[in-house]
Amino acid sequence: MKKRIFTALLTGAMVVSMTGAMAVPVAAEGDNKLTVWAWDQNFNIKAMEIAGEQYAKDHEGFELEVIETSSDDCQTKLTTAANAGDYSTLPDIVLMQDNSFQKFLKTYPDAFTDVSDMGINWDDFGALKQSYSMVDDKHYGVPFDNGAVIGCYRTDILKEAGYTIEDLTDITWSRFKEIGMDVHEKTGKYLLTSEANGGDTMMMMIQSCGANFVDENGEPFIAGNETAAKCVELYTDLVKNNVVKLVNNWDEYISTITSGEAAGIVNGNWITATLMGTEDQKGLWEITTMPKVDDVETATNYANNGGSSWYITSNCQNVDLAKDFLASTFGSSTEFYDAILPATGAISCYLPAGESEVYNEPNEFFNGQPIFSTIVEYSSHIPEFTKTPFHYEARECVNTAVVNIVNGTAQEDALQEAQDTLAFKMTE
Amino acid sequence: MTKKNKSAIQRRLIPTYIFLSIVSLISVFPLYWMISAATNTSTDVSRGRLLPGSHFMENFRNLTTQQPLWRALGNSFFYAILTTVICLLVCSIAGYGFEIYHDKGKDMLFSILLLAMMIPQVATMVPLFQMFSKAKLLNTSIGFILPIISTPFMIMMFRQNARAFPVDIIEAARIDGLNEVQIFFRMFIPTMKSTYAAAAVITFMNAWNSYLWPKVIMTDNNAMTMPMLIANLITGYVTDYGMLMCGVLFCSIPTMIVFFVLQKQFAEGITGAVK
Repeated sequence: MKKRIFTALLTGAMVVSMTGAMAVPVAAEGDNKLTVWAWDQNFNIKAMEIAGEQYAKDHEGFELEVIETSSDDCQTKLTTAANAGDYSTLPDIVLMQDNSFQKFLKTYPDAFTDVSDMGINWDDFGALKQSYSMVDDKHYGVPFDNGAVIGCYRTDILKEAGYTIEDLTDITWSRFKEIGMDVHEKTGKYLLTSEANGGDTMMMMIQSCGANFVDENGEPFIAGNETAAKCVELYTDLVKNNVVKLVNNWDEYISTITSGEAAGIVNGNWITATLMGTEDQKGLWEITTMPKVDDVETATNYANNGGSSWYITSNCQNVDLAKDFLASTFGSSTEFYDAILPATGAISCYLPAGESEVYNEPNEFFNGQPIFSTIVEYSSHIPEFTKTPFHYEARECVNTAVVNIVNGTAQEDALQEAQDTLAFKMTE
Repeated sequence: MTKKNKSAIQRRLIPTYIFLSIVSLISVFPLYWMISAATNTSTDVSRGRLLPGSHFMENFRNLTTQQPLWRALGNSFFYAILTTVICLLVCSIAGYGFEIYHDKGKDMLFSILLLAMMIPQVATMVPLFQMFSKAKLLNTSIGFILPIISTPFMIMMFRQNARAFPVDIIEAARIDGLNEVQIFFRMFIPTMKSTYAAAAVITFMNAWNSYLWPKVIMTDNNAMTMPMLIANLITGYVTDYGMLMCGVLFCSIPTMIVFFVLQKQFAEGITGAVK
């Protein structure tokens, strides 16, 4: 009898709990509520929450719900919903990686809303940053975090080898190689660390020339591309001469820096957050521009890597509210960017923000350099280049070619293979 | 056996023991490293420190501050237990039916069922999403568990084990006046305890680790489970490895407990024992 009562209770409890859990939180249908998908509690999510708080001050009853969703999951959920032809699970606003967005917009054009008329001065954002979220001169996204590339170096190791940060400022990759070989000889340390497969160094190099591994029509352009050949040649030369420590994955990449095995890192400025976690290296780091590619007329010391933008989905029930919210905060408010910088470390790509006092404060970790305003300034110099929805595929093909060249394959053959592989991937 | 022979055998076993010890150490190392990393700072972990540190509470505090750990644990328990109970019931009834009752189309149906095992989960994602969308089951608990409460593997496992169930008992029970439902619940289930234990361990682990489908259909922060929480810890620009390992530790403990508690029955169930 007891058993039966227990079974009945258990079943009852399950039914009740299931019914309770079935209460479906419907996507924002209320007049004043917006739902957002974003990742990183300390960075994107916190910035969005601060934006929500600021907007709510002037807009009574405004509510914002941020649903933590990793970048990969945002893409998986979006893909599944789009293929099923049901966007009802999408939020009002979604954060997307700049390098991923073009593919999604081209594949699922009805998933996003044109925001060109949202009333912000688009020229307040760097031209390159805008272009990541644009198709056919229409704006689909509000640019958020800055991906301007910086070179970060351990000044104590440079000093040991007889160099300063000025010696690495506005230089070419061949000069970088000379310094790197000298540093390795005198200190045993590498001047740069880079990932073999998932690394972005090659992409940053070619994009700093205003070029890409695809042509203007989006077709693979690796073999026969002089700029690409020069970049690959310089990079493999760095690897062969112990200037670059080539590692297998991200964890090793970070480890070479925290352990002091490498004296430098060239990447999107978001890497500073990771460096600043190594508190015992406080004051030892400084930043400067990345090296530029030799013998290429369009080469610069500036590139972009990473970064993301906010997009309004087609499932948004209150597009006007979403547009006004993004325009009032991420799209035009220096006060907002001043507030999120100390709270999140998120560096703006909104150019007027770089002029504020907060952005010009010295940073102790980077030996007193005002790194935030410097980074915003760098972002205004980044050249534009032809985007491809197959960014990550191109990166993988070129990185494989580099590894093959280092292992003895002729450069021409390796690049031709990379081109063929990329062409195949584009048909998949 | 003489003392001399015994010690000779023991000597011969020494290399085996050494080999097994090394293999055991290699197997246990990831577990040790997870626990050790949960007690160290992120920088120490990335520098490869293997010794336990003193930062567990700090990592735990960061984890509970930044992520809804208790809610995720509660949700994981709720979904895993619910899925396990229903899955065991559904699959054992199906497996029992396939083995005990006879019909012309039975084997054909079972073959089709087994073929379903060959279809990768990812390939079913979009059609399932469409079906659940039409049935208004997106973002519901039923939508969460429905695709995993009946699996061909579990049905096959119960069918295979039901072969060892003595048919004479069923005949005797029928003569004694039990109906088919009573025979299943009163005779089959108690006899097949080990199989149920093994199935419970496998189903619980699968349900606990279930990630892709729940992530696709659940759109609410309140529905976050432990695997989703772990995924959120590794997607930021900065990964706090200490906090991450602390989260992984909390995610692993329940499945470890379930396995260790049911270890004996699990081994018996997998080998098809009937008591």
